[in-house]
Amino acid sequence: MNDLAFLLLGVGNGAVYAALGLALVMTFKSSGVVNFATGAVALYAAYTYAYLRRGEFLNPIPGFDKTVDLGGKWDVLPAALLAVALSAVLGMLLYLVVFRPMRRAPALAKAVAAIGVMLVLQALLAMRVDETPPPVAAIFPRESFTVGETVVSTEGLWLGVVVVGLAALAALVLRYTRFGVATEAAAESERGALVTGLSPDRIALSNWALSSATAGVGGVLISPMVPLNPVAYTMFIVPALAAALVGNFSSISLTVLAGLAIGMLSSEAQKLQTTVDWFPDSGVAQAIPLLLILIFLLVRGQRLPGRGAVAKQDLGRSPRPTRLLVPTVVGVAVGVVALLVTSGSVRLAVIASLVFAVIALSQVVVTGYAGQVSLAQLTLAGASAYSLARFSEQLHIPFPFAPLLAALAAMVIGVVVGLPALRVRGLPLMVATLALAVFLEAFWFNNPSLNGGGAQAMVTPPSIFGLDLSIGAGEGYPQLAFGVLCLVVLTLCALGVAWLRRSRLGAAMLAVRANERSAAASGINVGAVKLTAFAIASFLAGLGGALMAYQTSNMATADLFRVFTAITLFAVFYIAGVTSVSGALLAGVMAPGALLSYWLDIGDYYVLASGVLLVVTVVFNPDGLVGQLHRIPLPAVLRARPAPIGDIPVAPSPEHAPTAVGGPVLAVEDLTVRYGAVTAVSGVDFGLLRGEIVGLIGPNGAGKTTLVDAISGFAPCTGRIRLGETDLATLAPHRRSRAGLGRTFQDIELYDELSVLENVTVGVDAGDDDPHRTVREVLALLQIGDLAESTAADLSQGQRQLVSVARMLAGRPTVALLDEPAAGLDSGESRWLGERLAAARGSGVSMLLIDHDMDLVLSVCDRVVVLDLGSVIATGTPEEIRTDPRVMAAYLGTEGPAAEEAAPEEAAPEEAAPEDSAPEDPAPEEPDHPAPDGPAGARPVRNDSDAPEVIA
Amino acid sequence: MSMLSARSLDAGHMKGNPVVRGIDLDVAAGEIVALLGPNGAGKTTLLETMAGLLPRLGGELSVDGTAVASADPRSAVRSGLVLVPDDRALFRKLSTEQNLKLAVRADAGRPLFGGRRRRSEAAARVAEIVDWFPSLGRRARVPAGQLSGGEQQMLAIGRALLQRPKVLLIDELSMGLAPVIVESILQVLRRVADADGTAIVLVEQHVRLALEVADRAVVLVHGDIALESGASELAADPARLERAYLGGSVAEGSDLARN
Repeated sequence: MNDLAFLLLGVGNGAVYAALGLALVMTFKSSGVVNFATGAVALYAAYTYAYLRRGEFLNPIPGFDKTVDLGGKWDVLPAALLAVALSAVLGMLLYLVVFRPMRRAPALAKAVAAIGVMLVLQALLAMRVDETPPPVAAIFPRESFTVGETVVSTEGLWLGVVVVGLAALAALVLRYTRFGVATEAAAESERGALVTGLSPDRIALSNWALSSATAGVGGVLISPMVPLNPVAYTMFIVPALAAALVGNFSSISLTVLAGLAIGMLSSEAQKLQTTVDWFPDSGVAQAIPLLLILIFLLVRGQRLPGRGAVAKQDLGRSPRPTRLLVPTVVGVAVGVVALLVTSGSVRLAVIASLVFAVIALSQVVVTGYAGQVSLAQLTLAGASAYSLARFSEQLHIPFPFAPLLAALAAMVIGVVVGLPALRVRGLPLMVATLALAVFLEAFWFNNPSLNGGGAQAMVTPPSIFGLDLSIGAGEGYPQLAFGVLCLVVLTLCALGVAWLRRSRLGAAMLAVRANERSAAASGINVGAVKLTAFAIASFLAGLGGALMAYQTSNMATADLFRVFTAITLFAVFYIAGVTSVSGALLAGVMAPGALLSYWLDIGDYYVLASGVLLVVTVVFNPDGLVGQLHRIPLPAVLRARPAPIGDIPVAPSPEHAPTAVGGPVLAVEDLTVRYGAVTAVSGVDFGLLRGEIVGLIGPNGAGKTTLVDAISGFAPCTGRIRLGETDLATLAPHRRSRAGLGRTFQDIELYDELSVLENVTVGVDAGDDDPHRTVREVLALLQIGDLAESTAADLSQGQRQLVSVARMLAGRPTVALLDEPAAGLDSGESRWLGERLAAARGSGVSMLLIDHDMDLVLSVCDRVVVLDLGSVIATGTPEEIRTDPRVMAAYLGTEGPAAEEAAPEEAAPEEAAPEDSAPEDPAPEEPDHPAPDGPAGARPVRNDSDAPEVIA
Repeated sequence: MSMLSARSLDAGHMKGNPVVRGIDLDVAAGEIVALLGPNGAGKTTLLETMAGLLPRLGGELSVDGTAVASADPRSAVRSGLVLVPDDRALFRKLSTEQNLKLAVRADAGRPLFGGRRRRSEAAARVAEIVDWFPSLGRRARVPAGQLSGGEQQMLAIGRALLQRPKVLLIDELSMGLAPVIVESILQVLRRVADADGTAIVLVEQHVRLALEVADRAVVLVHGDIALESGASELAADPARLERAYLGGSVAEGSDLARN
């Protein structure tokens, strides 16, 4: 009975989560933005309302009076209406100023910008409002009733009713008004909206106004129940995000239900932690969103609905460190001098810079290299710091081992939070890390029974072989030895991270960051690489955290590791440059409490400036500040020489002529791909012989790319696929690649920030004894050795095609599937590519070549398979195909047998419509006229980048 | 006077690298022009540029004597240039009826929250489309994503017709469709052109069917117009086309074009 009472008590908070979740869904649907600032909008509305009720107008813009006296208290209704209206205006401003210019940016970049907006709004309000929260009179009737022994107020229940009503209204608007239908339509196909004359832009603007108003309603209505506080209100976003994730950012009803459930369960959890002995003392309520997110992501593993925009590079380039010795020596020297010439608080700032740089390096690994946005690196450092207190003070583990173990503890936590990375990518993970930060702060850092509490939270000072490495106290504080310890740790970590960037693992991370699909096709185990990145990054953050623990000596307060500090730090890392070691070093200097803030004491404006700069960085300067520094020409001594590509003489392949065709290597039997009602490929049989080049041609929409996707594991299919003795049909894409199946993509998914050499190296099989030799041989074979050091982004279309082929050949595949390698090439280049392919087959690789360039296909192939409407309509030598009337018919629609065959049992042609199924039948089977690739609106959902078959 | 008039139009995805160069194209009211050519010739690029989905890199475009000033999709639609894109770009989760109703608009300034009178007007307009494509009426409540390929194409065309196009641009109508369905849809388009005086540009790989309904054919090879001919003349001499398509030799095609 008591439990029911506590569940009811949670309805009020749950309603706010639901309202914010609803706002999140609306914003995401209309503009693809996961608006982390939604809680901050509610915060603004709540304060505005509270001040209006007091007779004052809150002016959040710095430089003016904080409040304007309105000469009298406002009533509930006008105050609430004005607060909500101002929230709507704020939402429109945010869209117009920040998110409209980012329309074409990838979802992750938009979310990072939203983080910036959240920091700005939170910091502005924190600066402008009173320390003591203004009391807010109740809006709803505050009657109480008892359930069991517990008194429950009706106030929260009223709020629940209002929010559910609001959600129902939103759902009705979406379903039945033209505006709502247009919103759904534009979310589904922006192209469709444009050719229908709708304006996705206006739709998004209206939705931003409405969603921000919804958040405002939530903020105003909760203000009498939860004391106003800038951080607490902004952090309403975490349970709201969890709720929106349950609704997959599209279902209003699921989101609202989940929001209410989170609120109620949290309330119950709070009751349990006071009444049940074995329950932890605090933070259980914060665990609920985190657990919900983790379980939900792991179990369902659904990607957020895409919005069909062309995603460009999310992050800046990650240049390859070419020289390490000179920068290391210079860097260490600068560090030593800085520690020697300083003392007291300046030296403390130097030390703080060194320590923060270590944590920044962790962000470089997880975000800059592997492309996973983590907001919790400082939190992981905190986990290590509190572990260190335990390990050193209570378990008496000596110095170098205790901090290493502490870092390992952080690593375990990091990997657990990274687990959803196995199933999802990008945004949901970012949400999970934020939830972790909130949870750990409440559950551990702030919890006296876990953090050691007061005197127990001491950290044993580090010393080794009797040498005191501690920061000391009193005279000589902070001691030089501690500074040197930090410098040593930083140097080792920086070298390690630089080495990682040059290693194959680093290249694999960048490959994953650039494009998970093509990484998998190169034989990379995408999930494992992401988890490894999380592990390495968490360990580095843990080392930084251990140093922070030694620096403070006493961990009794959680001030160092607050969620907002973590987010601010993320912003600083991003601003400095999250893709390179030098960016991390700069970030160390810029971190709060480090050198920059020592020199330039801007106090409260620090967070505000971080937020503004974060938005500016995401929009205009994804490389970060360091990216700008890299553009300054260095003196020749400091500049790296291009590494010589080595001139291994590659023996020209003995057989240039199309000979040596051996036994069967690839056998495809009865392969069928269905997308819902549409059969894209039906019952295809064909085989490849060793050393053979087979062309696969057919009109647009014939199902060629779908067939290649199915063979390489990117499209669900039925049928048998055997490569030699291996059955491929059940293997994951990267396993098929390792089994000897290579493929290229028609949209040439190169890793733009990697050099040609690195791009090709990514393709080398893990079991290759001499990867360098393999890469050089392949480059020489395709005659692109001179491009080895060029960055992929700088290549011409033809060069990109060749690099893409080279990357695939570097895996020494038995069978290569080439999807339109000649697209974008002129006829001369295309002929040359044909010669290179003929040369490559000399090494025994068999190829399936899709291309629209008939000259290329007919000149280079031994056999040609013709696909039309998902089925093989002809197979033969180029000469046979050239003269086959069925082929001409498929291509040109000239009279031929195929034209008749293609529609044998078609409905009577006198009626325009194919009446193959009853009107009520929701999912008609269409055995008679398969429409490969044809169910337009969008093509069958393959993986993420779903380019049209060909751009005519 | 021509309904659609393009003068030295350059089109492409990047500045300085037009895929299609200096295209002059005139289509009269009620005329159907088949725009043919091998893959990669720039047909889709040309269509999407005229519809404002791609930036215009150079040249002039006018509809019914009025210049289409800015190259964005909404001003193209307002000028009466309506595209049926090659991926059809339907709203797959919305019903057939919702897809159609969204396209009903008398003018661009119409508010999104419609009143009752507008609703009945919309129903009347949708009924006109169902007259052209009766099967859409029988599938009114089915989500567009669950329609057959042919019905999806009919819906895409119906959605375009609801915007009262003066010029209808249709990209790859036959993609993934059995010829008999293509043929029936093309017959409807012929009747639309004859009844409403709509000018239609048809990018089509199914040459025989296209030439059956078209008045004229324009062949694009490597971004240039290689051949212009009456549809029936070209249908009678398919060898001219085959040379342009499979031989890839522009020179031969150009010779014929100039003769």
